[in-house]
Amino acid sequence: MARRSSSSAASASASSGVEKLEYIDYKDIKTLQQFIPERGKILPRRISGTCALHQRKLQNAIKRARIAAMLPFATD
Amino acid sequence: MRTYEVLFILSPQVPEEEATTLSTEFKRIAEGTGAKLTHEEAWGRRRLAYPIQKFNEGNYQLLVFETEAGLSELDRRMKNSDRILRHMIVRTDLDHKRAEKLAKRNPKKERLRPARRSRPAHLPRLLPRLWKRPCPTKRRRLNKGRRPTWQLK
Repeated sequence: MARRSSSSAASASASSGVEKLEYIDYKDIKTLQQFIPERGKILPRRISGTCALHQRKLQNAIKRARIAAMLPFATD
Repeated sequence: MRTYEVLFILSPQVPEEEATTLSTEFKRIAEGTGAKLTHEEAWGRRRLAYPIQKFNEGNYQLLVFETEAGLSELDRRMKNSDRILRHMIVRTDLDHKRAEKLAKRNPKKERLRPARRSRPAHLPRLLPRLWKRPCPTKRRRLNKGRRPTWQLK
């Protein structure tokens, strides 16, 4: 259920999320940063391979972290 | 009982002593409305990901409360305080509960790494691919150019 298996780095980080299964904490920036490429956007599901449920939680956590100025809204 | 995490960022101009007095004051306000402090963290000065009110740094503080009544009073006071660059109150008990439930429903290890199908013990090592033949379409593809053995001269 958790995710499709495949794709190296992203799936590894997704699996680390799966292990805890799963409270994605907005304060845990190290984990969140794995889903944030250069521009500061949220990595889409089709690339990271996270399932819908976890992508949603991840999205909420990232947005919270952005409000708390722990992650950027956008970078150039 | 609800659990709330209260994160607030104090202005870097606020000196340390005042930061502690401010946070104790906020605690008092929350406790005045029936909240119970369960956890407290002071992360200290951190770089902000983007400037807020032209500051590039902020003093991060985290308070965790348990309460029935909500923290609207604290929220209001924080909004009015000019020492606070930003604050955020997040309810977490429901998410934690759901995570626990999910963790109980799928004990995870198996899913992460399903056991590899290995050779059954009774088959000899020198006879590979007997217990794991390619699927029919693949077999057909593999055999495409080959003539059946009984036609070979």
